[in-house]
Amino acid sequence: MAVPVSQMYTVARYVLTQKLKGVERYPLVLMLEPLFRCNLACAGCGKIQYPDHVLDKRLTPEQCWAAAEECGAPMVSIPGGEPLIHPEMAEIVRGLVARRKYVYLCTNAILLERKLDEYTPSKYLTFSIHMDGLRDEHDLAVCRDGVYDVAIRAIREALKRGFRVTTNTTLFDDANPERVRAFFDEMMTVGVEGMMISPGYSYQKAPDQQNFLKRKKTRELFARILSNRKRGWRFNQSPLFLEFLMGKRDYQCTPWGNPTYNIFGWQKPCYLLQDGYTRTFQELLSGTDWDRYGTGRNEKCADCMVHCGYEASAVEDTFGSWSGFGRTVKATLLLNGH
Amino acid sequence: MTDDKYRAPEHTPLEGRVFRPANEAELQEAVERAFDYRGDVTLELRSGEALEGYLFNRDSSGSSPCVLLFPKANQAVRRVSYAEVAAIAFTGRDTASGKSWEAWVAKKASQRRAEAQEAAEAAKARGHL
Repeated sequence: MAVPVSQMYTVARYVLTQKLKGVERYPLVLMLEPLFRCNLACAGCGKIQYPDHVLDKRLTPEQCWAAAEECGAPMVSIPGGEPLIHPEMAEIVRGLVARRKYVYLCTNAILLERKLDEYTPSKYLTFSIHMDGLRDEHDLAVCRDGVYDVAIRAIREALKRGFRVTTNTTLFDDANPERVRAFFDEMMTVGVEGMMISPGYSYQKAPDQQNFLKRKKTRELFARILSNRKRGWRFNQSPLFLEFLMGKRDYQCTPWGNPTYNIFGWQKPCYLLQDGYTRTFQELLSGTDWDRYGTGRNEKCADCMVHCGYEASAVEDTFGSWSGFGRTVKATLLLNGH
Repeated sequence: MTDDKYRAPEHTPLEGRVFRPANEAELQEAVERAFDYRGDVTLELRSGEALEGYLFNRDSSGSSPCVLLFPKANQAVRRVSYAEVAAIAFTGRDTASGKSWEAWVAKKASQRRAEAQEAAEAAKARGHL
């Protein structure tokens, strides 16, 4: 496992506390979107399809901290848009770290080298670099040549300065398992702490609607990628979630596990679907008809196996029973090649 | 209704269309389309005001259904009740139109380079590169 023990302990204690309190629905990771403006225009991304005057809007640091406190999740993921474009991003991160949130700043790394001086290495801060494969695959996925090389240079510099660095990879239906495995080898050679992988989801608002993985194909693809995995590969995510991707177990979605907050408010019901917004986190929890969402309940959810819905389900499985905990230990040992 | 639009956005473009609902059901349908639209809309209000902006939320439940909109002209969120809306025009550009991955891959290398350069220059001008 690549996740530090202190982080695992914090998450475990948080989840067990929620269970002891009898809380039915609790957030695990706040998806904080301080802006939608990006310096890339990937065809598979549904987050940046807005008019200019909306792309120019940003959450203030105070709004970000208030959302983190209101939600209470132990981890905060900052996607976007490209977070490093936000002129107050370093201040936002400092405030979240001061609140002892484990922050995953998701960036395409184009600006990372230039901005690194603004940040201080911390166990609470991880730069999660968007890498969709080796050079050819990545540059094609992000629709711009040369981005892979820029990102690799930035990763090396961040690691040299003592930052935690992970990668996040979205796989589409043209993914070649052997190339993906070679990409994992490459990332381990570069020295990242761990990797996160997820199948792409057909965002309602993405321009590209044709290349997203269907459920059966997702399982086949991930089984081919993750079977006989190499000992050195480290993943920064639940081992049960990886088994879910491989088709070894089935989960129902936990959309409230990764609630999303952005300039529009708290997004209903999840990070990917946009069925409306609420002003408060409590309104999101109490005012969303959760039974309308998830596999078999909503056609928009039919093929979704994305981490923001199912990783929380895997964590719930781990802490829901002793057998779930046992499954996690077993999957972890398998993951580490034992 | 809205799903079809996303599956085939190029075949049923909303850009440029005007919905003048004749009843509550049509108004609700027009609002849903505006909510899903990837560009600005212009609300023609019964007061005669034309309000252009991005419609980001709607609440059709309760006794006073309303939409929420970021006006193009200023920062403050504007709340407009359904009863005030006379027409909805899809006046802004559909921001995802013509940007599919297939389109990107199919383009000649020279065109791709030119387009990538154009996007890079726009980002540079904003100080984002």
